[in-house]
Amino acid sequence: MALIEVENLSVHYGAKGQLVRAVEGVSLRVDARESYGLVGESGSGKSTILRAICGLAPMTAGQIRIGGQPVPTPRGRAFSRRVQMVFQDPYASLHPRHTLDRTLSEPLAIHGIGGSDARVVKALEDVGLPANFRFRYPHQLSGGQRQRVAIARALMLEPEILLLDEPTSALDASVQAETLNLLNRLRAERGLTFLMVSHDLAVIDHMCDRVLVMQHGRAVEELTRDQLAGAQMTTDYARTLFDASADRMLGA
Amino acid sequence: MATMTEWLRDPSPASRTQARLGQSYLAWLRMRRNPLAMVGLFIILVLLFVAAFAPWVATHDPLAQNLSQRLLPPGTPGHWLGTDDFGRDIWSRIAYGSRITLYIVTLVAVTAPVLGLLIGTVAGYFGGWVDQVLMRITDIFLAFPRLILALALVAVLGPGIENAVLAIALTAWPPYARVARAETLTVRTSDYIAAVRLQGAGAGRIIWGHVMPMCLPSVIIRVTLDMAGVILIAAGLGFLGLGVQPPTPEWGLMISSGRKFLFEQWWVATMPGLAIFIVSLGFNLLGDGLRDVLDPRSSGK
Repeated sequence: MALIEVENLSVHYGAKGQLVRAVEGVSLRVDARESYGLVGESGSGKSTILRAICGLAPMTAGQIRIGGQPVPTPRGRAFSRRVQMVFQDPYASLHPRHTLDRTLSEPLAIHGIGGSDARVVKALEDVGLPANFRFRYPHQLSGGQRQRVAIARALMLEPEILLLDEPTSALDASVQAETLNLLNRLRAERGLTFLMVSHDLAVIDHMCDRVLVMQHGRAVEELTRDQLAGAQMTTDYARTLFDASADRMLGA
Repeated sequence: MATMTEWLRDPSPASRTQARLGQSYLAWLRMRRNPLAMVGLFIILVLLFVAAFAPWVATHDPLAQNLSQRLLPPGTPGHWLGTDDFGRDIWSRIAYGSRITLYIVTLVAVTAPVLGLLIGTVAGYFGGWVDQVLMRITDIFLAFPRLILALALVAVLGPGIENAVLAIALTAWPPYARVARAETLTVRTSDYIAAVRLQGAGAGRIIWGHVMPMCLPSVIIRVTLDMAGVILIAAGLGFLGLGVQPPTPEWGLMISSGRKFLFEQWWVATMPGLAIFIVSLGFNLLGDGLRDVLDPRSSGK
C-alpha cells in the first residue's frame, strides 16, 4: 500500500474575481521510503499540491490519504508528527527574531517532548552545522546554512514524510549540491519518504526514483528514473523539459 | 570583570541563560553606541531618581502655602524655580509631581498597548468576522475624540487618579490595535508562520510567540511617542476637575493653575511645562534607541 495517495485532487480558488484552477484532477501514489518528484514550469501547480497535502491550500475536490487514512481537516498534531515540509525560500521560512535554538525547540515544546537541549544539539549536528550556531539568529547565517536549519526543524518531530518545496532553488549551484546530498544522506539514514517539487529535471534526476511531469495544473506524464535517463518520454512537453536540462544531467 | 565580559561575549554560549544574558549585554552595547538613546535613558533615570528621592530632592513641603512669598520669580534665594500663586515652591512641587507623572505613565504604558496589541494581533491573525467585529469596535473608539471619551468614563467612574488612568488606557488602545493588525497582516502569510502551523501549534502560541514579537517594535515606538500626550490628557482631566485633585502637585494641574498668570508670571506655567517637555523628549529618544536594540537584524559588528 502506498504511503501517500492523492486521488483526483483539484484546488481552485478565487483571485480578483477570477477562478484560478491551480490543480485539476491530479492523482499520484508514493510508496514508503520512495523519493517522488513533481516537475513543471512555474505556475504548473506543483507547489500547490504540497500545500494542499499539509492543509495550507484548500482542497476543492479529490482525496488525500496518508498511510491509507484520509487526512483530517484541520490536519492536527498527529499529522504534523508524520508529515513535515521544507519551504522554498530559506530567507522567509525562519522567524527573524528567534534564535536557531528557539526555532528548533519550538516543535518539541508544541508536542511536549522533553530533553530539548540534547535534541537541538543533535539536530544541528545531523545537518552539519557547528553546535555554536545554536544561539544565532537567521540573519547571521548564509542561505545554505539557513536551509540546513529549515531541514533540521522539519526533522525535529521525526516525521516519515518530508515535503520539499524547491528546497534548493534559492541557493547557488555549489550550495545546491551540498544541500541535496545532505537530504539524500538523511533519507538513507532515517528511511524518509520524499515528495519533492522542482522546476529543474537535473535536481529531480539526482534525487528521485519517480517523477510526475505537470503542466497547467494537470499531470502530463509519470516517468521512472530509468525512463528519464533513457530519454524515454512519450509527451512533447516532457521532452522539452528534458532537453532544457539534459546537458547538466549527464554531467551529474 | 574581564572574565565576566568574556563570558557574556562568548560566541558559543553553553546554556540558554548564558545566551540570553549575552544577548542582553550585546543589546546594551548597541544602545550605548547611540548617544541620543543614552540622553533619553539619562533623562528617564533622572526622573526615576527624583521620584524615588523626592523628599530629599525637594527643598520645601510641596503643599506648604506661604502667601507672603507668592509668585516669586525664578532665582530667588531659597526658591530657585520661583513660587506659585499660593507661595508654594515650584521646584519641590515638580519633584513630588514626578511621582504622579511616573505612576500615570507606567500604568497607561502597561495597559493600553497590551490591550491594543492583543486585539490587533487576534483580529489580524484570524481575519474574517473576528477581524470585522474587533476592528469595528476599534473604529467606534477611534471615532470619539479621546478627551471627550475619557471625560465620559471619569464622569461615570468618579474623579481620581486611578480612574483617570483607566479612562486614558481605555481610550488609548485603538491606535495600537491598528498598528498591530497592519503588522500581523504582513506576517500571517509568511512561510515561518506556515511552518509553525504545520508543526501543530495552536493560534494562541502562534500569536503570542511568533506574531507579537514582529509587532512589538512599532508598538513600542508609538508608546514612547504617546507618552507626552498621556501626560497632557491626565493634566486636562485634572484641569476639568475629573483627574488628580488639587492641591496634589501634578504637572498638568500646575500648568492649568499657572495659566491665569501666564503673561505676568510666566514661570508658574512654564516650569512644569518644561518638565513635561523634557520627560517626553526622554521617552522619545529612549524609544528610538530601543527600537534599534529590539531588532536583532540591525546588530552591526
